[in-house]
Order: sequence, then C-alpha cells, then structure tokens
Amino acid sequence: MNSSIPSNEIPRRGFFQLTLGWIAATLASAASAMAAVRFLVPNVLYEPSQRFKAGKPEDYADGSVTFLEDERVFIIRKGNAFRCLSAVCTHLGCTVNRIKTGYHCPCHGSLFNNQGKVIGGPAPRPLPWFLVTLSKDQRLVVDKSRVVNGDKYLVV
Amino acid sequence: MKPPLVKRLWKSFERTRVGRSIFRVGLPESRLERSRAMISSFLLHVQPAKVSRRSLRPGYTLGLGLISLYLFLILIATGVLLMFYYVPSTDQAYNSMKDLQFVVSAGLLIRNMHRWAAHLMVVFVLLHLCRVFYTGAYKRPREFNWVLGVGLFLLTLALSFTGYLLPWDQLAYWAITVGTSIAGYAPLVGQKLRFLLLGGHTVGQEALIRFYALHIIVLPGVAGLMIAVHLWRVRKDGGLSRPDEPGDLVEQVESGQLPANKTYGLMELARGTTPQVGKDPEEEVSAWPHLVFRELLLFLLVVAVVLFLAIFWNAPLEEFANPVHPPNPAKAPWYFLGLQELVSHSAFWGGVVVPGLLVTALLLLPYLDRKRAGIGRWFARERAVANTIFTLCLVAAVVFTVIGTFFRGPNWGWVEPWKQPPAVTEGP
Ligand code: HEM
Ligand code: FES
Repeated sequence: MNSSIPSNEIPRRGFFQLTLGWIAATLASAASAMAAVRFLVPNVLYEPSQRFKAGKPEDYADGSVTFLEDERVFIIRKGNAFRCLSAVCTHLGCTVNRIKTGYHCPCHGSLFNNQGKVIGGPAPRPLPWFLVTLSKDQRLVVDKSRVVNGDKYLVV
Repeated sequence: MKPPLVKRLWKSFERTRVGRSIFRVGLPESRLERSRAMISSFLLHVQPAKVSRRSLRPGYTLGLGLISLYLFLILIATGVLLMFYYVPSTDQAYNSMKDLQFVVSAGLLIRNMHRWAAHLMVVFVLLHLCRVFYTGAYKRPREFNWVLGVGLFLLTLALSFTGYLLPWDQLAYWAITVGTSIAGYAPLVGQKLRFLLLGGHTVGQEALIRFYALHIIVLPGVAGLMIAVHLWRVRKDGGLSRPDEPGDLVEQVESGQLPANKTYGLMELARGTTPQVGKDPEEEVSAWPHLVFRELLLFLLVVAVVLFLAIFWNAPLEEFANPVHPPNPAKAPWYFLGLQELVSHSAFWGGVVVPGLLVTALLLLPYLDRKRAGIGRWFARERAVANTIFTLCLVAAVVFTVIGTFFRGPNWGWVEPWKQPPAVTEGP
C-alpha cells in the first residue's frame, strides 16, 4: 500500500505517539484552565484598606459606642480603654444596628449582646473584635485583619 | 377561488432572481414541497418534516418548553438594547437605570419587558420541569436531555441573580450581599468561591463588573448553546415522548415486538430510536404548516403577554445602593426567598445542604428511576410514588417561598400580610 495515503486503521506504531499526544493535550488544557482561574483571582484590591486610622482618642466621648459607616465597625470607649467591634453580621453580612442590650441584625434577626456574643437568631459566630493600636501621631489605628479577644483593649 | 393578494404578491416575489436566491424552496403547495421546505431552510431544518399528531396536542406539553425558549429570545433582544445605555460602574449604573426610565424613548418599556420576561422565564422553566416530570418524559432515551434541562434551570437562576445586581439600588446591593454570603457557607471552598465571584471581600465595583460580564455574555452564551443542544436532542431522542413509544430498538428486535406494518430502513435499525421508528404514517402530519404556525402563534402570544405586563407595571427601582443601611427586611429575589427562609433557620443546612441534595437528586433521577411504565401520560397511576415525592418537594418549596415573600416583615419577624405591618424599631 502506498504509505502516503492514510488508511482507516490506527497504525500500531502511532499508538505511542498518540498516547503522548493525549498526555500533552491534557496537560496543556489543565494548565490553561489553571491560568484562567488564577487570572480571575484579583492581585490588587481597590477596597478600603483593612487597616485604617480612626481619628484621635478625644473624638470619642467616655462611655460611647460610635458607628463608623465606611468601615462598618463600632469604636467603643469606656474610661480610657478603646475597643473595636465588627458591625458585619456573621450570618450573611448585613450591617447590625446598636440597641440597648447589644446589637441587632435587621436581615434575619440575629441578636448579639454587648460582648458581641450571639444570643438569638441564625448567626453562627460572635461579632469579632479587631486590634486597636495607637500611631505615632496619636491616632487610633484599627486593623480589621487582626481579630483579638473581646477583653483586649487599648489604654490611652 | 383565487388565493389572497398577499400570497400572490409573495409568490411573484419568489419567482424573481432575488427571491429565488434567498428561498431555496418557495411557499410549499404539495406534501412533497412541504417536507422540502422544512428540510432546506436553515431556520426550519432544526425541526422534523413530519410530526406525530400526539405531539401537537397542546394539552401534553402545554407549550411550556417553547414558552421558555421565547422568553429567552425576548430577553436577548431587550437585553442587547439595554446594553446601549447601561454603564457597569458603581457611579453610573444607577443613573443609567434612571435615564432608561425617564429620558430614553421607550427605555422604560424595554426595561420593564426585560424584567418581567426574566421573572416569567424562571416560572416557566420550572413549570416545564414539572411537566416533564409528571409525564415521565425523562426516561430512556431522554435521560441526558433531562440533565441538560437541570443545567438550564440552574443557568436561568444564575442569569436572574447576576442581572439583579446591575441596577445598583438598595434591593440589588443587599440581595447580592445576602446571596453571595450563602455561597460562603459551602464547606472548604465557600469563602474562596465568594471572593472569586465578588473579586473582593465585599460587593463593590469589582463585583459589579464580574456580574456584568457573567450576565451579558458568559451565562447567555452557555445557556444559548445548551438550549440548542437541548432542542437537537428532543429530535434525536425520537421527538416528544409518547406512551406507545418503543424502547430501545435493539431490545425490541430481541423480544420480537417490532410492529409489522412498517418496513425498516437499515439506517433506522442502525441508529436506534429515530423519529420515524414505530410510528404509523397515518399518525403523522406535515410540520408545515401544522407545527410551524402553532409555534408562531404561541410566540405572538408570549410577546403580547410580556408587552401587556410591561405597559401596565413598572420594574422596581429603589434608592441608590447604600452599603451601610440594609433595608429592613433585606430580601433576596422572590425565587430565592424560600432559600432565604431556610437560611434564616440555619445558613449551612438551609443554604448548602438542602439545595445541594435537591440538585443532586434532580441530576440522578433519570438514572435511578428506570421503570418504563407511565411514560407519555400526565400523572400516570404507575408513577404514583414518584409523583407524590416530587409533589411534596414542590409544595414545600412553594410554602417556604410564600412564607419568605409574604409572611416575613422587619427583622425577618413573622407578619400576617393582611394585618397592618408593625412599626420598625431600630437602635439609636
Ligand atoms: C431554558 C430552559 C429550557 C428551554 C428553552 C427548554 C426547551 C424545550 C422545548 C422547546 C422542548 C420541546 C417540548 C416542550 O415544549 O415541552 C423541551 C423538551 C424537553 N425538556 Fe426542556 N427546556 C428548558 C429547560 C428544561 C428543564 C429545566 C428540564 C428538566 C430538568 C428540561 C427537560 C426536557 C425534556 C426531558 C424534554 C423532552 C420532553 C419530551 O420528550 O416529552 N428542559 N424543552
Ligand atoms: S445577615 Fe444578619 S441575621 Fe442574617
């Protein structure tokens, strides 16, 4: 048979090359898929920084609970102690409201006490407390990426 | 009798050089030409030249699949128009919706049509799913078409959900915040998935552009392709399901059940079930005009209903999105309110386990339920058990959705819709 005319049979000698071809094609597809997924994970976030300055300690009255809108946190001052509590409901991310006994989420009715502990509703975890420090220029600095215990506070 | 004027004009156009270059077969007169018209036109060749009388009975399919298809087409047409004005940026999105409503000629109408058609599509795809279930139409050889259908159902929901964010109003912002948080509860990958979907930690510009890309090209593209395969499979699986339908031809040859009143071409035997196998020729009519005109009529009806809704009811647009103040209560789109009601009891069980199990059950159904009895009839007694289970799930879904929609007020508290809603009390 004239070898330049392909026949319908898969030639035996080609089997090895065929396997190699399949492996190469599989690897190439997998690599492309991974690149595509990685492409979709953003490297730079234009969100507000997780760490931010929250003004001077004197800005907050003694015994006050102040809601910072843009950052969605509460700054709590008692005497000279400062703490910062998340205002993002741990259930599905709504902003909680301050009530007499603690905090209340309007979306599915989760209730938190003054310590951020869940006392009702579907929220699975307490509201987290964030690390508060003082900058060199005497400003409060909150770092939302650092969760601390509720009994930890900054004394000024 | 002379044919009507329009027809005569059409005929004389067909005979011109241009007419003949466009239409490979003219308006058909004879039976043969009718078949040729169906086979040689690009738009019509998707359909068979002959259809069984049974399949034309409106009471069998209720036209639900076709209606879903037409709604999809209306959504594409109106959606493309909206794209000429809509800007996917958090600064401008809301304003472009306002422009569409108050400045652009017919903008309000187009937006309303797009919105109502989207709602209707969710409803009709679900009804179509129910029809297919209650007539046992998902069994061999249509198992895979059912699986494609489940995919289409999920895609329909995803299309609605991604579109929901685009107006960038309060409704949009909080429904997506709540909805994507549900995804965050999935074990292991949940948080990563949410981050990937939003392109960040909260709903913002990155999320808007991602939802936009998904809504206008990725999801419609995938859905369009899947619909094409779905319709192609309807034909290749032997047309619509019928009670007298032969199972596998091979099976029949083996059991000697072949109807004797027909000669089989080799092709038919070789390919398994084809549209012709087992059909008595007398049971069939030409697709042109019987099928084509019915389809056209239904299309006009669907367009008319959507137009009617769009003229008399406006799509909602609330205040500009405010990440600080969730509306009270914050509600997801209505078709997710059953889910939200479940989630209000437990995010993990209600938001992940229950929907996950339901989808898995739907996907596996045609491979698990393989009894042949009761195909092609509504509510066949032989399928009483399956039908009862399905109905219970359906009723549960409807009850939860109704509770979430009408019986949940401020703070997701129980309200009775016929009573005055309680005053909203919030903290200082
Ligand atoms: C975008 C959504 C969908 C569109 C446009 C669509 C379109 C259609 C059309 C036009 C038909 C022909 C018969 C009829 O009109 O009922 C059909 C049949 C069918 N569909 Fe769908 N469909 C969709 C979703 C689904 C879903 C959600 C399921 C089920 C999970 C499904 C499963 C089937 C099956 C099994 C058939 C064959 C029925 C039979 O032979 O009796 N489809 N579909
Ligand atoms: S988001 Fe707060 S209770 Fe659901």
